[in-house]
Amino acid sequence: MTQTSARTRTFVQALNEALDIAMERDPNVYMLGEDIGEMGGDFGVTRGLWAKYGEARVRDTPLSEAAIIGASVGSAMMGMRPVAEIMFADFIGECYDQLVNNAAKMHYMFDGQFKAPIVVRTACGGGFGGGPHHSQSVEGWFLNVPGIVLVAPATPADAKGLLLASIENDNPIIFLEHKALYRVKGDVPEGHYTTPLRRAAIARQGKDVTVVATMKMVHEALAAATELEKEGIDVEVVDLRTIRPYDAETVLESVRKTGRAVVASEAPKIGGLAAELSATIGEECFHDLKAPVLRVAGLDTPIPFSLVLEKYILPGKEQVIAGICSVMK
Amino acid sequence: MKLDIETLVDLYRDMVLIRAFEFGLEREFKKGNVPGMLHTGVGQEATQAALAAHLTATDAFFPDHRCHGINALAQEKYQGDGERIMAELFGRATGVCSGKGGSLHSANPKVGNFGDNAVEGSYMATVLGVALAYQMRGQPNVACCIIGDGTVGRGEFHESLNMAAIWKLPVLYACVNNGYAISMPVGKGHASPDIVDLARGYGMPCVIVDGNDIELAYAEVQKAIEYIRAGNGPYFLEFKTWRWQGLFSGEFRPPEEVKYWKEERDPMRLAREKIVANSAMTAEDLKRIEAEVKAEIDQWINFAKGSPMPDPAKATADVYVGW
Repeated sequence: MTQTSARTRTFVQALNEALDIAMERDPNVYMLGEDIGEMGGDFGVTRGLWAKYGEARVRDTPLSEAAIIGASVGSAMMGMRPVAEIMFADFIGECYDQLVNNAAKMHYMFDGQFKAPIVVRTACGGGFGGGPHHSQSVEGWFLNVPGIVLVAPATPADAKGLLLASIENDNPIIFLEHKALYRVKGDVPEGHYTTPLRRAAIARQGKDVTVVATMKMVHEALAAATELEKEGIDVEVVDLRTIRPYDAETVLESVRKTGRAVVASEAPKIGGLAAELSATIGEECFHDLKAPVLRVAGLDTPIPFSLVLEKYILPGKEQVIAGICSVMK
Repeated sequence: MKLDIETLVDLYRDMVLIRAFEFGLEREFKKGNVPGMLHTGVGQEATQAALAAHLTATDAFFPDHRCHGINALAQEKYQGDGERIMAELFGRATGVCSGKGGSLHSANPKVGNFGDNAVEGSYMATVLGVALAYQMRGQPNVACCIIGDGTVGRGEFHESLNMAAIWKLPVLYACVNNGYAISMPVGKGHASPDIVDLARGYGMPCVIVDGNDIELAYAEVQKAIEYIRAGNGPYFLEFKTWRWQGLFSGEFRPPEEVKYWKEERDPMRLAREKIVANSAMTAEDLKRIEAEVKAEIDQWINFAKGSPMPDPAKATADVYVGW
């Protein structure tokens, strides 16, 4: 760690710093994606890097997600460290095979002879009227895929530290960037540092109930905790940070301490991260639980366009509060 | 161009090895000694031998599902242990992937074998990255992907050709057009039965090659690889050939077609005739080569059968790197 003081930065600026530092430190790091070059990406995450590093290392691509990820995997097999951008996570279906059948299995099926150290940055999550194809939470699409790593920061400091850790890691990583967090500000240390993968963070300490969350839901859980403090309920918030493979130890330790668990996830409830965490907590902590584990998650629908409809199906602070109150009864 | 006789005989020996490998494998498969599925490259030997002859160990090739032959040739040529490809197909610990890959996922980067991906066409995207790494590092190497005609229906075909063209990547597309994608005839499954018609729009040289004529195939592969190594960008070869093996339900192709390809257009026979017509070698000399090679393949099969099974505990190793 060579970090010095922290400054206030947005989530986007933190990601941009991480990319800049990674490109500066390692000539094998390069980026590819749609409109990431001179334009700097749809959300400005790669702004300025094309001018600084040139078009050979900041490569604009056609609308060819399979080729983007295929090229990433192939170059990673050769020792390069590609950072691909898939503009919206919803488009990942176009390169699902490359991720699931190539990147995730490369090291295993070829008996360790190849590695696929790719980072796929992608903007996910709803809440802004993006409609059915620009708003989804895709972590569930990959939870059942051994070999894939899912990283999901909630704060600017973690966005930078986790992105650097991801680029330096030898596994294929899908790096989820929730769109609602892009403009969030926070303290971000200067210079190079990494935040460990597979380690959850205790975003808030509490003794009565554990809320396990990721990305935007961490902020919803923290807001819920602040409100419930007035009611005398002391909420612990666990920010998972890496979704696969996840830090079960920290989650279970927290639940054993509080005896109550709410799992908060923006994705549809069925078959997702909330279901997985809930099952694991149930299996491992049954005798420590004072109430059944409760899932707060999106409704089992596609994401509708109209903000009124979207708000109805996506969970927020109010749903987390209701969930906590339910397990506190 | 006329090939010198030594080279032609060497290529013939490679072709004999491929056919002996596949026939031996098929025999063991029928006996139940080889697990999983079996797709052989019988009938396509000239194409594979021509590619193997020109690709070096520092180039890369992505084999398709009928490429046991090229896998074995590369393994034998650069590491002297082609039997490890056989052992992999038997699921043994001595296989190139220690039994984790099998027929459809045999790889060894040390001989340039970057592995098949059994979702045919998937590696058409992967090959771009290998070529990009060569280009970014200024290496004069070639990344070759061997595809079938069926693969052309995949979206990756078009994404790959387009990206290779706009970035001028050193990719050799070797399309083995054997007439059928399982049961779908090429002219029914694609807008043109000549795959080059679909590739030409991407602006790279596109050449149809008689895939059963080793002399022509050898010359065309050489031309393509020289073009790519000189930094001119991608190149597309379509080898017209025919696979002997039916698929799943046995033979469904018209008997006159089967007869034509197996007799008149057999690449082994065509090569033999060329050698005998252009040298002092006789049919008997060639039979001797065939017997030698077959004995070697029998040894490979015995090696595979005598090799230990992998340790079951290895099934959970290498899911993640370092974790």
